[in-house]
Amino acid sequence: MRTPALALAVLIPGTLLSADPAATEFFEKRIRPVLVERCYPCHGPAVAQPLGGLRLSSREGLRRGGDSGPALVPGDPDASRLIRAIRYTDPRLQMPPKGKLDSQQILDFENWVRMGAPDPRSGESTEAKPRNIDFARARRHWAFQPLQATPPPPVRDARWPRGAIDRYLLARLEEKGLRPAPPADKRALLRRVWLDLTGLPPTVGETEAFLADASPQAFARVVDRLLGSPHYGERWARHWLDLVRYAETDGHEFDQDKPNAWRYRDYVIRAFNQDVPYARFLTEQLAGDLLAERRVTPDGLIDETTVATGFYWLGEIINTPVDTYQALADRIDNQIDVLGKAFLGLTVACARCHDHKFDPIPMSDYYALAGFLRSSRLRQAAADAPAVTERVRAALPDRPALPAPAKPALDGRYEVFEDFSRPDFGSWLRTGLAFGDSPTGGVAHSGRYGNALTGILVSRQFLIKQRYLHVRLAGRGLVRLFADEYTNGVRTLRGGEEMAWKTIDARMGQGNLAHLEIADLSPEEFIAVERIVFSDAKEPPANEGPTPPPPVPIRMAVPPAHFAMATADGEPQDVPVHVRGNPRNLGAARPRAFLTLFSGGEQPPIVSGSGREELARRLLRDAAPLVARVMVNRVWQHHFGEGLVRTPDNFGLTGDRPTHPALLDYLARRFIEQGWSLKQLHREMLLSAAYQMSSRPAASRAELADPRNELLHRMPVRRLEAEALRDQMLAVAGTLDRRLFGPPVPVYLSPYMDGDPRSKPPGGPLDGLGRRSLYINVRRNYLPDQMLTFDFPPPITTMGKRGVSTVAPQALYLMNNELPHLEARRWATRVAREERDPAARVRRMYLEAFARPPAPRETQEALAFFAEVRRRFPRANPLVEFAHVLFNSAEFLYVP
Amino acid sequence: MSRKPLSRRALLCRCAHGFGGLAWAVMAAEGAASRAVNPLAVQPTHFPPKARSVIFLYMDGGPSQVDTFDPKPRLDQDHGKPLPIPAPPTQFNDNGNVLRSPWKFARHGQSGIEVSELFPHVAACVDDLAIIRSMVADQSEHTAANYQLHTGFAMQGRPSMGAWITYGIGSESQNLPGFVVLDSGLIPAGGMDNFGAGFLPAAYQGTLFRPGAKPIANVEPREASPELQRAKLALAKRLNRGLVARLGALPELEASLANYELAFRMQSAVPELTDLGQESRATRELYGLDERETAAFGRQCLLARRLVERGVRFVECLTPKLPGHDRWDQHARLFEGHRDNARATDKPIAGLLKDLKARGLLAQTLVVWGGEFGRTPMSQGATGRDHNPFGFTMWLAGGGVRGGTVYGATDDYGYFAVENKVHLHDLHATILHLLGLDHKRLTFRFSGRDMRLTDVHGEVVHGILA
Repeated sequence: MRTPALALAVLIPGTLLSADPAATEFFEKRIRPVLVERCYPCHGPAVAQPLGGLRLSSREGLRRGGDSGPALVPGDPDASRLIRAIRYTDPRLQMPPKGKLDSQQILDFENWVRMGAPDPRSGESTEAKPRNIDFARARRHWAFQPLQATPPPPVRDARWPRGAIDRYLLARLEEKGLRPAPPADKRALLRRVWLDLTGLPPTVGETEAFLADASPQAFARVVDRLLGSPHYGERWARHWLDLVRYAETDGHEFDQDKPNAWRYRDYVIRAFNQDVPYARFLTEQLAGDLLAERRVTPDGLIDETTVATGFYWLGEIINTPVDTYQALADRIDNQIDVLGKAFLGLTVACARCHDHKFDPIPMSDYYALAGFLRSSRLRQAAADAPAVTERVRAALPDRPALPAPAKPALDGRYEVFEDFSRPDFGSWLRTGLAFGDSPTGGVAHSGRYGNALTGILVSRQFLIKQRYLHVRLAGRGLVRLFADEYTNGVRTLRGGEEMAWKTIDARMGQGNLAHLEIADLSPEEFIAVERIVFSDAKEPPANEGPTPPPPVPIRMAVPPAHFAMATADGEPQDVPVHVRGNPRNLGAARPRAFLTLFSGGEQPPIVSGSGREELARRLLRDAAPLVARVMVNRVWQHHFGEGLVRTPDNFGLTGDRPTHPALLDYLARRFIEQGWSLKQLHREMLLSAAYQMSSRPAASRAELADPRNELLHRMPVRRLEAEALRDQMLAVAGTLDRRLFGPPVPVYLSPYMDGDPRSKPPGGPLDGLGRRSLYINVRRNYLPDQMLTFDFPPPITTMGKRGVSTVAPQALYLMNNELPHLEARRWATRVAREERDPAARVRRMYLEAFARPPAPRETQEALAFFAEVRRRFPRANPLVEFAHVLFNSAEFLYVP
Repeated sequence: MSRKPLSRRALLCRCAHGFGGLAWAVMAAEGAASRAVNPLAVQPTHFPPKARSVIFLYMDGGPSQVDTFDPKPRLDQDHGKPLPIPAPPTQFNDNGNVLRSPWKFARHGQSGIEVSELFPHVAACVDDLAIIRSMVADQSEHTAANYQLHTGFAMQGRPSMGAWITYGIGSESQNLPGFVVLDSGLIPAGGMDNFGAGFLPAAYQGTLFRPGAKPIANVEPREASPELQRAKLALAKRLNRGLVARLGALPELEASLANYELAFRMQSAVPELTDLGQESRATRELYGLDERETAAFGRQCLLARRLVERGVRFVECLTPKLPGHDRWDQHARLFEGHRDNARATDKPIAGLLKDLKARGLLAQTLVVWGGEFGRTPMSQGATGRDHNPFGFTMWLAGGGVRGGTVYGATDDYGYFAVENKVHLHDLHATILHLLGLDHKRLTFRFSGRDMRLTDVHGEVVHGILA
């Protein structure tokens, strides 16, 4: 923290210091040895980059100080940062870090500074220059280049390629003298593409229809049908959710629910299903609340553009942080991290504490981005389609606001924050219709049109100065105090039948920025707030005020409001650089801007609001090539097992280079040319010959020449992800509930899913009601053990590539967990009902599980197993046990 | 039980046979061959290790340093007076005056180190302990502090030190998880993320062993008889062999087959492990297994010994659940809470140290004791102490540690560490060092960075090394 005294230090000329030999001796005897021994290891001449930017090996270095400003004020020990540090009284500033100097040494330093800090040293300083980023040079990195249009090279085998993709791939294979693998058999291909696009296995009917279709368009027809399936959106939404650390709770100590977070999940599913152009999809998430052009759901009820902005708020939220400003900085850091990696494939958040070590992202760019987020707030918003809201508003009866009566004055201990005496809501933000356009009778009243309407009022931001907050209110709605943009309701009030004062203890939030919410979220309740006052007194004012009229019902059907976790503009503000990433150590404010790398150092200032819409515009205008490359690479990775760039979230200098740069750029260009259509992109990739190759290792020569399959000489075998494995099990058993959307199903808590009891939710059903895995409640503190065992990524930041580990708990899960046993029983029971003959039952199970009939040997094995079970284990059901064996076969878990 | 490590050579040999030359070529090209096939395969250390296993006795909630291992006579002198040094904001900011320790300290052992009367049994082992009285951490609140203690980062979802260590050097047990957490029904704030694998492969995540007959999920077959399960697995194996013939010798399939064999072995290894019937009367007595107060933690400590005997790399014992107290987190009723927590853990801990020593295991097992932070020298309310990450105590014993050592110091009040400060990062660096790992070289590429347990910090505390 800068103090005026510290700022003064720079004005004191060095010549003020005497060259008095006694002073010099004092320095040489008492000061220099301590500096050398205790300070030079980190701040000395031999250190290339002194810590904190502070070099203590020269007079100039000491005077100039480090990142936090001058280290000393000659003559004034108390104002000198160096002295503060060695005194060890400030827990945030203690030097030397490993242990305090002895008290005589501290005394010496204090005296020395009091003497004017005489320092005979000079010229020893070898100041490290701040790194200047040469952007022109940095832009030569492949990922920052414009998209190249390199035509596919000529290939010798002209029959294999079906399109440009294949020609790019084949050219590289031929360079190495390799051939692509032969085509996969039709059944394997069908199962592959079904699981790939929908995360579900093909039904027996689908398989037969495909086999019966001998036309060359048979596969293209399947692809089109699957791209049109609603389950496509479910499958690919889950991939997207990995990128945005999607979870439905805050995590941390109490793991509170994020209300309505699931609407964002449904938004993503619909966006994929409707093939919303990817550029638009990003824009909606960044700035949907600000866009003039709204987009509503097909049923016309929900405003998608509002729901999209939930994107920002899916991260971890620290409960009751001791340092709320630090928590705010950490939250913004996570938002920047996700935005940078998910959209740009750049580790922007590495520039929080210093310029990015590898990529051309200065620290100032980080804080320029932070400004957009600092100027934006979480809110619960009524996400009803504008037309719906208008319809309801137009039909409301005319209920003019009553004039505000004179309110009894309060004694001096109370400071009025709001008394709703004005004819309008002033700076309060409104969402939903319940509060009308103004206060009525000196009260903010959500029952003005009866109980049925819902809505929220959000206050401006303010500083919590006093210890208590008193609210005079009635009704069962909520008043919530949020500290420091910190997204958990710190304190909540609920009113009663009668108008009465209630008190919020704000002591834990004192000194923080905060805002208030007055919320009526229930069509059966209302809330009326008459006054909000602050005081240090614990007891509320004795005075009463006007009593609002009871809610007067309206005679019309009001559709239930859809609230969503969304974003709104807050107070527009630029963020100062946090020196060394320390939010207590502030440098100059950085005007909000997009990355210099893309939009240059001279960007027009943000003139109104948070500027998020402008951020989205610059991102898609100036970084479009990278945005496109990153997304086509993600799609490629999910289709082909590995990306063309194998570090999908890092296209920077430390990331992998593309295995096929020309192909990557070709796909990115196509993507943009085709209006950022993901479905077109899928189509082109899936209809390539490459996608339809067999996964069988052919010649050992190919494996030796291309051991990591970077040239894609065959399709890789893939293990199903956690969700696809469970969904496939339910689908095969015939117990999958294929309905889409909706609030999450409570997560099943196995006896082994333990956690902090303070955040333990009530458990859900074992089979998740048969819903697909992405509808199971994602609770940060209670992620399902089966999901984690199969590499479900922790929702901490962008995870573009999941782990694929092979560990014993996976086998133990399939062998011994109750769910596979339950589903095996259900599956066998159904098949036994539908097929009489044992061999036919085996055949049916193979078709359902693997989209292929059993080989004769496999049927024999199965029948022999039935006989063995009947003979040796008469009480067991052979078909149930056999179904369970199939769940445990490698073919169930792997997709060739 | 003796250790039966599956040697790297044997493992590679087996894999080479299983895979044929083709997969071998893949592995050779990949370099670190064995991890890809068996993630828990023993890995070479950076330099010769002093310890082979770690037992972390995690004192959940933050025991008070000034009431346990860091005597402060000044608290007696100033009892009831305002603390004369500035106090940073605490979690509850309800700070009272200086509060003296209700317990007396006395010198013990050859080293003459002072330990409070809360720990009579551990005090008898003090010559085996290296007590760090100058621990510091950055977090004042349990969840973030737990994450930092366990993962180095005060955030959710980073790899736990147990995960880092099993990733770094594998495990010598091929029938049990490499990182085991022993629980008596009290999961710390922050939950399972304290023991997670974060961005490391799932193989390294901590496995929670619950009290009772079924310590871990899915190890108990559901079939009517073990023979039926064996018949089923035999069928699955035959079907999978057919699949390999059809799809080719894919490494993924081979690894999956090997995985079922490991899982099958684990099914019998776990009940064998938890069957304490094999332990002698004397051992039961040593750990306090048959006394009401010490039974729970005694069982955890005894299981910890059995786990390291079997080659498990990292064992964490969680604080037992005591009626009427919330862990070591005595914001009020310090006297009762610390008394009961100490009573529940003192004898079992001493029993563990003595037992390990008697079996020649202490020299190769690193035992670490401590919480996520310490407590304030002034009272919270009238009878409690608030959180204090600025100066607290942890101790280490066993493999590579110089017993009978006191390292570092806090100020006169025991509030701030002032001499030889040891940050949690330094503790992590030291633990890795004793296991033969250089904390700067134990890295995993994530997010474009070579991530470390110690982030960009950490220095080995040489002053406590033997």
